[in-house]
Amino acid sequence: MTAASVPVRVVRRRSFRVPSRVLAGLVIVGGFALVALAAPLLAPYDPRELVAAPMLPPGGSHLLGTNDVGQDIFSELVYGARVSMVVALSAATIAVTVATVLGMVAGYLGGAVDRVVARTIDAMLSIPRLPFMLLIAAYAGGGLLQIVLIIAALSWPVTARLVRSEVLSLRNRLHVRAARGFGASTPYVLGRHILPAVVPVVAAAFALQAGRAVVMEAGLAFLGIGDPTGKSWGLTIRAALSYPLIYFGNAWLWWIVPAGLCIGALIVGFTLLGQGLEHWVNPRADVPSAT
Amino acid sequence: MTAPGPRRSTGRRLALSYLVTLWFVVTVAFLLPRLLPGDPVQALLDPDSIDYLYEETLRAQIEEHYGLDRPLLEQYLAYLGRLARGDLGESIFFRERVVDLVAERLPWTLLLAVPSLLLAAGLGSWAGVQAGWRPGSWRDRWLTGGLLVVSNLPAFFIGLVLLLVFGVELDLFPTNGAMERFAEDASLGAVVVDVARHLVLPMAALTLSLVGTYFLLMRNGTVALLGEEFLTVARAKGLGERRIKYGHALPNASLPVFTQFSAEIGLAVTGTIFIETLFAYPGMGLLMFEAVGARDYPLLDGIFVIVALSVLVANAAADLAYRRLDPRVVRT
Repeated sequence: MTAASVPVRVVRRRSFRVPSRVLAGLVIVGGFALVALAAPLLAPYDPRELVAAPMLPPGGSHLLGTNDVGQDIFSELVYGARVSMVVALSAATIAVTVATVLGMVAGYLGGAVDRVVARTIDAMLSIPRLPFMLLIAAYAGGGLLQIVLIIAALSWPVTARLVRSEVLSLRNRLHVRAARGFGASTPYVLGRHILPAVVPVVAAAFALQAGRAVVMEAGLAFLGIGDPTGKSWGLTIRAALSYPLIYFGNAWLWWIVPAGLCIGALIVGFTLLGQGLEHWVNPRADVPSAT
Repeated sequence: MTAPGPRRSTGRRLALSYLVTLWFVVTVAFLLPRLLPGDPVQALLDPDSIDYLYEETLRAQIEEHYGLDRPLLEQYLAYLGRLARGDLGESIFFRERVVDLVAERLPWTLLLAVPSLLLAAGLGSWAGVQAGWRPGSWRDRWLTGGLLVVSNLPAFFIGLVLLLVFGVELDLFPTNGAMERFAEDASLGAVVVDVARHLVLPMAALTLSLVGTYFLLMRNGTVALLGEEFLTVARAKGLGERRIKYGHALPNASLPVFTQFSAEIGLAVTGTIFIETLFAYPGMGLLMFEAVGARDYPLLDGIFVIVALSVLVANAAADLAYRRLDPRVVRT
């Protein structure tokens, strides 16, 4: 091996190869996103319309049969992708935005602001999440908007802590200190030097937050919080379980299992994407992030 | 997590942060009902509710009984005073004291959650060492891939599949409740066997939903240790592979597992709520679900405070234990 050219080529090739985990995650999440976008084209029926006899087994014109009131289960699943994607993306967007702003400001300014933010993050993280969500949902109601806001309100601290610790190590780097020395204002330094540096971390956190939002939405729906006539995967499972005869016969195989697998697959997709990005950004931090 | 600084100030800061959290929990439980729609007496005023009160004077009396006609600060102080005396109020739905209801349900939850957590940590660590010892082997790939999927499935779905396969299709285990109704003269042995049989499926589901995190931590911890000198020394001493793996690598890779164990206590609460609801297991989780369904706000608030308090105490205990296990945390 000659020293001159080979290492350079290796380095260059490495930095442009997308890790397989990221790729797999993108394929899964992208697939569900396409299904959500094209739902009216893909679903053979309106999921709210009573289109056939109730409790039909799969086959013929109903790929996954019909539910207890005669709605097409496959169409329900296709439209369910919309709910999950909307909840995941909007909750993650709100949570990550709040987390980035708070984490950056706290980490960069330090002092009293930082102490207040850090204590709030600690306090929020040590409260058991689901009971807290149930409590808020019980008072605020379980509409889609409320659910998104509740999930976002309880998700930001994980990411805020991450961003804050990243900024703490960035703020004393030479180029940042130089910028400050030349008289750059705080907003300028944050926008020009800090934000670009935390974007990779934030992108990974976004994917992980989106995955967690899918779990939470499904979980809340399973516990009966949410619009009972809505069409999300969690609500489909809830509806199947409240059908009194679900434990008789095989209906659970096409009514419950596909919905559960959809939830699981989308979460795995987001997790692969998030963990892959995390690993790509910082190869040594290959541990599962705090939940 | 591990704040730098001399021992005393670290301990004090820790105690302070737990106190702040405790105050936060208690205050949230007080403020939520008053900030958000869904007043405690709403069920009584809602014409759709079975509890609807048609009598105006009675409604006013109820408002007075719950102290909702007094200033907010006064209500807050009265609430703190009651909490300090261990009074969590009375459930609207069960018409019992919240403390009594919790005392009745908590043992079942502990019976389900504590063994599941220990089992998940044990199994996860064991499998993690197996996988991390030979990274990239087929064993590593299958375990990592499989557990990644399992730990990402929602706990209720794992429980549902176990319930349907082992409870309904194969009919091996009971799927409902914590024990059968027994005649007075049932022997202790029969009761124990029955309780254990009821515990199998919920415990398996909870363990499965928790095992993945421990596995990944232990696997990555083990991989990181592979080149370490103390392992080479152990090998040079002529120790067997098993002895090195379990006696030397496992203890050293298990510190992050222990940290996770304390962080996971909160997560186990989440899993428990789903699993108990699914299997109608009469613990705190099912109680919370019932409280949500019945819009039993005092009960919901009370459970929230108790659960948050338990998790805080467990976290504090784990923090203290961790300091003993890893002297490096204290030294600086």
